[in-house]
Amino acid sequence: MPDDPISPTNQSTLPSDEFIEINQQLNSKNRELIEVNARHATILENIGDCVVVVNNNGQVTYINEQVEAVTGYKNTDIVGKYFLQVLHLVDEKGVEIPFEKNPMRNALFQNTKVASNDCFYKRSNGTTFAASIIATPIHLGNVVIGGVNTFRDVTHERDIDRMKTEFISLASHQLRTPLSAMKWFSEILLDGDAGPLSTEQKEIVTNINQSNERMIELVNTLLNISRIESGRIIIEPKPTNLKQLVDEVVLELRPKLDAKKHNLVISIHDVLPDIMLDAKLVRHVYMNLLTNAIKYTPEGGQIMVLISKSGNEIISQVSDDGYGIPKDQQEKVFSKFFRAKNIISVETDGTGLGLYLTKAIVESSGGKIWFESTPKEDPPKPDAKHGTTFWFILPFYGTQKKIGEVSIDS
Amino acid sequence: MDGMDKKIVMVVEDETLLLSAIEKKLTASGYQVIPCTSGEEALSFLSTATKMPSVIWLDYYLGGMDANGFVKQLKKDEKTAHIPVVIVSNSASEEKKKEMLALGVTRYILKAQYKLDDIMTILEEEMKSN
Repeated sequence: MPDDPISPTNQSTLPSDEFIEINQQLNSKNRELIEVNARHATILENIGDCVVVVNNNGQVTYINEQVEAVTGYKNTDIVGKYFLQVLHLVDEKGVEIPFEKNPMRNALFQNTKVASNDCFYKRSNGTTFAASIIATPIHLGNVVIGGVNTFRDVTHERDIDRMKTEFISLASHQLRTPLSAMKWFSEILLDGDAGPLSTEQKEIVTNINQSNERMIELVNTLLNISRIESGRIIIEPKPTNLKQLVDEVVLELRPKLDAKKHNLVISIHDVLPDIMLDAKLVRHVYMNLLTNAIKYTPEGGQIMVLISKSGNEIISQVSDDGYGIPKDQQEKVFSKFFRAKNIISVETDGTGLGLYLTKAIVESSGGKIWFESTPKEDPPKPDAKHGTTFWFILPFYGTQKKIGEVSIDS
Repeated sequence: MDGMDKKIVMVVEDETLLLSAIEKKLTASGYQVIPCTSGEEALSFLSTATKMPSVIWLDYYLGGMDANGFVKQLKKDEKTAHIPVVIVSNSASEEKKKEMLALGVTRYILKAQYKLDDIMTILEEEMKSN
């Protein structure tokens, strides 16, 4: 091919000015294409993630430099080969991930974007690294003509995350010694074991004691979160009577319910058999949802717990006619340290960690949690409905046992 | 109750501040307290004591030997093997709990979760069941 990509074989039959115009247009389009290609090539070579492009047969047509740097394979080892046969995907024990679970294969076959964060790639020297992978099909119109597999080595991120979890765990355990000292010394003062206190002194020491109790709760919650996040939590399902479990939670919360004169209605499916659950974990879920309902409902509220069975699922519902969650903040409800604007001033006591932990527990038990909420308007409209309902489902056939290292509340 | 009839509680806790709070509360509640800041100190006291404590309050993590080493020694000597031991610790992993209960410890509880009053009730229960 000559420098000019247009081969003017029929030059003589065309009027010369028309030919010149087309020629100019083609030249300019060609330049545009060269520019776009140069730009894309530079982008691909300079981004931090590894990029592998395959055709619709799964053969590699392109890899960027990062792939060579991260995997140890050379361009010539990979390009032209079947992707699944050169870059091996394994699990944490080094066992090959089956073909039908390979993200790139599924992106091409299911014609959809596939993300994966729990696999490892094998380097050319046989070592492995944890990878975060996104595989996407390339479309031309409605036809899949190939796919892009991007990935990066997340070993360092994993290490940092583990160190963070370990740090929180260590710091929290260390905090328990001074917290115990404050708890016990204030108890000695309040019991009059160090001489009688005046009414005002008693009030002050009670405040110290209560603040300390909040701190103890915060440490407990942080420890539970670090246990769940580390994935080291033990899940020990045993036949559990949900009615009994809820009754126990309610018994513990009775003083708080009565103090706010709430009316509590509990309705549980009549013939619910015992479910294989880790009661220690599931207890936390009811405890948290009910504590929130009590706290975030003004005096004399109506709180309801409904437990029913639907298909292979046990559905629990906890609802209140309380302050509700502002619409614009609802998406943050399960985030760490989130507290809704409308209740921060009403209830100062709260860590913003309860629902985060609750969601983590429900999901670790094989379930799902969601909610609906209508905030109370300010000024309140007469007869306007407001309040929050949380639902969570647990598998009727129970939670899977998980051998771990740590248990909740320890 | 006079000095001779007081129940003796041995407390092994290396945090002196905590030890002094426990001692104050137990003394005010009518117990005779043997405060020790290490397992070694407690064992050496027991080796020469004429009257054994009715119960031992034991922290898990101690400066020298930990609760595991201490309880093993305690159970070796028939003079001390029968004394009920309640572990009051900063952390209670299932594994540690099982390991200590297997050694013959009667209770394993979490420090910051209990009021001194509640722990005294537990100590009383252990003394009675012994």
